[in-house]
Amino acid sequence: MTAVAIVLLAIGAAGFLFRLLRGPSLSDRVVGLDGLQSIVVIAIVVAAASTDSGITIETVLVAVLVGFVGTTALSRFIERRGN
Amino acid sequence: METVSGILIIAGSALAMIGGIGALRFRDLYSRMHAAAKAPTLGLVFVSIGAAIAIDTLLAYTTLLLVVILQLLSSPVGAHALSRASRRQTPVALDGPDHLTRDEQAAEHRRDPV
Repeated sequence: MTAVAIVLLAIGAAGFLFRLLRGPSLSDRVVGLDGLQSIVVIAIVVAAASTDSGITIETVLVAVLVGFVGTTALSRFIERRGN
Repeated sequence: METVSGILIIAGSALAMIGGIGALRFRDLYSRMHAAAKAPTLGLVFVSIGAAIAIDTLLAYTTLLLVVILQLLSSPVGAHALSRASRRQTPVALDGPDHLTRDEQAAEHRRDPV
């Protein structure tokens, strides 16, 4: 179960990583970064479910909040600076 | 219960993979944002339900509920802020070649000044 989920997440992360490295504009790179952060959050939840103790489950909260603040700050930056 | 949580976790991971493929394959920024903002959010909801069934403690239930609520609140706000910022930076003509670069409201205004 965990192996299949990790493989699926790795394929999705490859797509987002390509968009992060190759996006034509800065907004495309921010899309890639935001998606990569979502993949990381899902991967932490999968890892917590695979250990059956849930010891890493609090880090998911921090990851979600940091991702939201990062995306919003980068959007404000794009709005000021241009793409 | 093991089977249910496994199916939910794999379904959520598959949704995240679909989001990544959409962000890789779609043609313009707004289509990519459409794929990258919505599919991983539903994937996180599925994976969180599956993990809450698998871990089965009160701490896991409350934390994952909070995570799902925060992600459902913050993902549309972030996507909206990003699309608004990039839309304002896009040069808009009165008769652009497609829907994204044509400003029909300004064209209406120009044709019929008040």
